[in-house]
Amino acid sequence: MASAAKTSEAPYRELTITRVFNAPRDLVFKVWTDPKHLSQWWGPRGFTNPVCEVDLRVGGELRIVMHSPDWGDAPMKGTFREINAPERLVFSNIAVDKDGKTLLEGTTTVTFEDQGGKTKLTVHTHARGVAPIAVQMLAGMEQGWTESIDKLGDYLRQI
Amino acid sequence: MPQDRLSATFSALADPTRRAILARLASGETSVTELAEPFAMSMPAISKHLKVLEHAGLIARSREAQWRPCRLEAGPLKDIAGWVEHYRRFWEDSFDRLDLYLRKLQKGEKKNGRKKK
Repeated sequence: MASAAKTSEAPYRELTITRVFNAPRDLVFKVWTDPKHLSQWWGPRGFTNPVCEVDLRVGGELRIVMHSPDWGDAPMKGTFREINAPERLVFSNIAVDKDGKTLLEGTTTVTFEDQGGKTKLTVHTHARGVAPIAVQMLAGMEQGWTESIDKLGDYLRQI
Repeated sequence: MPQDRLSATFSALADPTRRAILARLASGETSVTELAEPFAMSMPAISKHLKVLEHAGLIARSREAQWRPCRLEAGPLKDIAGWVEHYRRFWEDSFDRLDLYLRKLQKGEKKNGRKKK
C-alpha cells in the first residue's frame, strides 16, 4: 500500500546546491544519465547502488536503490519530466521507506552550464511532504504560525 | 534513526489540525478541552488526533493529574530536522563523489591515448 502521506496542503521546501566541476559539460551530463556511471557516485559516502535504472526519455523512470551496511536499502524512484541534453534535466523524485511508503516527494532540476571547459552544476529540489513542514515549524518560517512557532523553536532549543 | 518512528512522525504531521495542535502545545501544557476550543470539531474527533500524535511520540499525556494535560515531546521533530539535514548532505556527498569520479574518468581517458579535445 503505497499510501502517499497527504501532502496537498504541504508547503514546499527548496534546496539549491551548486558546484563547479573540472570536466566538460557533455561528460558531466553523461555521468548523470548513464546508469553505468550514475551508480558510481550517487548517494552519500559508504553507499553503493545495487539497483540503478535510467530510462532516459520524458516519462521514463529513474529507479535507484542505495545500500549501505549500516542503513540497509534506501530506495528512490522518479520520472523524467524534461530532458534537454546536455543542459537540463528535470525529474520527479520520491523517497520511499522499505514498505514503499512515501517519505518525501519532490521535483529536482539539474542544470549544466558550460564554463569554458568546466561545468557549473546546479541541483534545485522542491521538496514537498511532511518533512519540510516540520522543519519550517522548527524554524518558525511558515506564515501565520509565527508566534506559536517561535515559542516552539525556543522550547526545542531548551531541550 | 528508526525508520518506523520516522514514518509515524511524518504521517502524524501530514494533517493541518494536528500541526495546529502541536503549535498550540508549544506554548505549554494544555487540557484536551482547551485544546479543542479553537477547532470546530467534536471531542471524539480531537481525541482521535491526539491519539495519533501520542502514538507518534509527538505529545505525552500526563497520567497523574485528573485533567490529563497534553504536552509537546520534541524528540521526533528533532529527528525530522536531522533527516532533512541529511537530504542536503546527500547532495553534498554525492557531489564530492561525482567530483572524484569525474577526475578518475578523465585521468583514464588521458592514459588510453588522448581523445579529441
